[in-house]
Amino acid sequence: MSVRWSAITPGRLCAALTLILLAFAAVTLKHAAQGMGLSAMLTGDGIDAIVIRYSWAPRLAVALLGGAGLALAGTLLQQTLRNPLASPTTLGVASGAQLALLSATLFAPSLLSLSRGGVAFAGGAAALGLVFALAWRRRLAPTVLVLAGMVVNLYFGTLSLALILFNQETLQGMMIWGAGSLTQDDWSGVIYLLPRLLGGLIGAIVLSRALALLDLDEVNARNLGVSLFYLRLASLGLAVFMAVCVVSRLGNIGFIGLAAPAIVRIVGARTFKARLLWAPILGGLLLAVADQMLTLFLGDSAMLVPTGAVTAALGAPLLLWLIPRLTVARSAPMAGAVEVPLRRRTPGRFIALLGIAAVCMAVVGLLAGQGASGWHGPWSLPWAEAGAWRLPRVMAAGAAGMMLALAGTIIQRISGNPLASPEVLGISAGTGLGLLGLLLFSASASTGLSLAAGTFGALATLALLIAINARSGFEPERLLLTGISVMFLFTAIQQIVMAGGDPRVQGALAWILGSTYSVTLPRAVLVAILAVVMIALTRPFARWLDVLPLGTATAQALGINVNISRLVLLFIVAVLTAGATLIVGPLSFVGLLAPHLARILGLTRAREQMAGAIVLGALLMMGADWLGRELIFPAELPSGMVATLLGGSYFMWRLRRL
Amino acid sequence: MNRRRCRALPGALHRRITAVGLAVVAVVSCAWMPCVQAEARHAAGAADVPRVAAIDWGQAQTLTALGVAPVAAGQIDSYNIWVGQPKLPASTQELGLRAQPNMELLSQLDLDLITLTSMYASAEPRLAEIAPVERIDIYQREGDVWANTLRATRELAKSVHRQDAGEQLIRDTEQQIAALAGHLGADTPPLLVVQFMDARHVRVYGDRSLIQATMERLGLSNAWQGDTLMWGFALVPLQRLAAIDDAVMVVMGPIPVGVEDSLARSVVWQSLPLVKHGPVIHIPGVWSYGGLPSATRFARLIVDALAALTPARAAPDTPTS
Repeated sequence: MSVRWSAITPGRLCAALTLILLAFAAVTLKHAAQGMGLSAMLTGDGIDAIVIRYSWAPRLAVALLGGAGLALAGTLLQQTLRNPLASPTTLGVASGAQLALLSATLFAPSLLSLSRGGVAFAGGAAALGLVFALAWRRRLAPTVLVLAGMVVNLYFGTLSLALILFNQETLQGMMIWGAGSLTQDDWSGVIYLLPRLLGGLIGAIVLSRALALLDLDEVNARNLGVSLFYLRLASLGLAVFMAVCVVSRLGNIGFIGLAAPAIVRIVGARTFKARLLWAPILGGLLLAVADQMLTLFLGDSAMLVPTGAVTAALGAPLLLWLIPRLTVARSAPMAGAVEVPLRRRTPGRFIALLGIAAVCMAVVGLLAGQGASGWHGPWSLPWAEAGAWRLPRVMAAGAAGMMLALAGTIIQRISGNPLASPEVLGISAGTGLGLLGLLLFSASASTGLSLAAGTFGALATLALLIAINARSGFEPERLLLTGISVMFLFTAIQQIVMAGGDPRVQGALAWILGSTYSVTLPRAVLVAILAVVMIALTRPFARWLDVLPLGTATAQALGINVNISRLVLLFIVAVLTAGATLIVGPLSFVGLLAPHLARILGLTRAREQMAGAIVLGALLMMGADWLGRELIFPAELPSGMVATLLGGSYFMWRLRRL
Repeated sequence: MNRRRCRALPGALHRRITAVGLAVVAVVSCAWMPCVQAEARHAAGAADVPRVAAIDWGQAQTLTALGVAPVAAGQIDSYNIWVGQPKLPASTQELGLRAQPNMELLSQLDLDLITLTSMYASAEPRLAEIAPVERIDIYQREGDVWANTLRATRELAKSVHRQDAGEQLIRDTEQQIAALAGHLGADTPPLLVVQFMDARHVRVYGDRSLIQATMERLGLSNAWQGDTLMWGFALVPLQRLAAIDDAVMVVMGPIPVGVEDSLARSVVWQSLPLVKHGPVIHIPGVWSYGGLPSATRFARLIVDALAALTPARAAPDTPTS
């Protein structure tokens, strides 16, 4: 790879981008100046000169600074966590800041008038504190940190979406921040960021010698006298400080922190010091170019398209294109992150007990509930006024829980990665993209049309997964990278839609959070049949699933065609995920959690784990669905959200004791 | 997990399962408790007032103005903040999110009619199992907003058999707006109606908004001639307002927390021609997707604010609010 690419060096790339930036900036400046001379721009007190001095110029500066800060933070994080996918958002900073801002707007508005940046900063710091606390006992081991960051991100992100769901009108402005708008109206952003980022840079340079040693493996680094714990603490603290400064001023800006360090690495910045030099320059240029482009092409439109979300949306295809070109470490990255429990001696009986619990939950979900005047007896209302509405929801929740749990078990076993879950393959994000696209481009969409759009999204994502990964033999790391890119795109589009203030957002948001609300009986029956058929189909593959986690070499030695088995299993996962997502939305946590729970409870072999996860998935989803319907009756919480909050709490509790 | 705990687990689990079982029994038996309900529900209402559930706020508002206040509506607390006028009766039943009205509850309310807009159309087939559904649009429909609003008012009135009340509401609205227009001087400048989203971005109301339609009824012209979205507004950063210099800026509430402080410091805001040469009018919020009551409210607020302004127009820096 490096041979073909030798013509491109970080220096040349940045020079080219600088030229592009200058060209764009000249055009936008000319547009803003309206024929004004240079001295008029610098000294004039007409509104056009003011706009140039206090809006155009600080915007350009803040884009360069913010991009550089995020790229620098990303470089530090990737080095410290030894993970090419780490970015400033990995450790929960942005989601913590967002949750803090949203909660303050709703519950303590006086804090906001005191200091908006301060609230965001405190939220980001609190999220990081939580991540650190969860990983503290493992002395901030990278694998545990990444896992904790992911859980905290998902948890806080879900809470934020829930607040927006119920308070869309009040939180409209915060969604603009959430999508990363770079609009400036004075130099305060630049004045705030410049000294802080400079301080961060100096800190990074001081640490760079020690951090460079992390290119060696941990044992060697330790032998050279590096205190890994303090080094990690210092480096992560520095990175997150810079990230939270940028985020609190500019909002969520996707992709730059992830991509800038990755790109300079690909174009030849081999050493950490070289990356430390070039990544911030590239990051600043990337963000500024993207922002100027947007100003140029969409500056006069009626719709606000925030830069942060757009960089993420543009970045996703770039990341997809990079994936085949990345050298991905071939290892079991999360080995040792999760304990291996002893196998239960009587798994059958245990699964049967879980099954009974699931049946009980289904009965509760059907019969217990509130009505127009509070809790009522199970048979006191006619079937049409309660049971008829509950039956499809209980069925769909159970079936979706089963399918996602099964999909999660398979994907975790194929990839040997206990963090994998169906949504990291991007299938549910692809489905969501299809539905959001429909929302954007059509005034009112029928149910049939949205089903078609969702299915199309899922199939397109699957085709993309296969096209990109066929040559590498469906290497798990690349698969997950592909999925993450699709998720990036989905999140970005979602942010753009939400920032735009379309009143239809509420319906879309309820679906994104995962809800059985719109399930009809025919669809519930369909999804239940699909679940049963897929479970039956998967049974024969249990041997593959026992062997694949042992690694490619072992599996081949045992006579398994790794490529074909991965492709078949991948296809099963895709069908399971798409089916569940179309009916109830992308239910985040079940696919991740249920397989873990099954394992922790001692169901270690493939067939037991699948059976246990399926039953647990159904139990969890039906429970979440029932709680969601009854907790704040007559309003309801999306079941996916309840499942995420329940599962997330449990997961954090487990992590702490790892 | 260590060996000792693993051996202990089955026992612990059995206890846990027993506990779960007991909890289930407890919940189910609670649910059995006799409840005093349902029968009372039809007794109160007069026989000829149809029982309507309004999913959309604008329709809840119009129905109330027609004298057929909905028996159930979505997100009533937020309605009171964002729509406000006219108030829904205290007896109105909460339905939850407008995008997800509670089906079980709706089916228990003995409804005669459910009204909604295309925005909530995905629920229509299932709502139709509960009661007849009327889908009535103002925005997601071709044509002039004012004409659509009148048509929607007539359709709503017809669906609750209050055609007379509908015509009366239309007449009253047009009379009131015409009377208010009479208070305006012929030299009233164009207006630029903005609503702050955060300290740097505003919604500007223009073509396809109830705001502009009402301004046209009042004989006022809108200073925003740019594009708008399907919903009648453009979402723009402050500097996009720089090019407009011959108008009066109207800031419609509610202003998000902290924005006023930021604006006091913002060089760009302070330098905008409409702000610098003032005055800036502040009016309380008007539900911009509302029906005729919102139009009347906007007309009254804007005419009152302009009237309060007239003596002060010579002194631009006088604060107005």
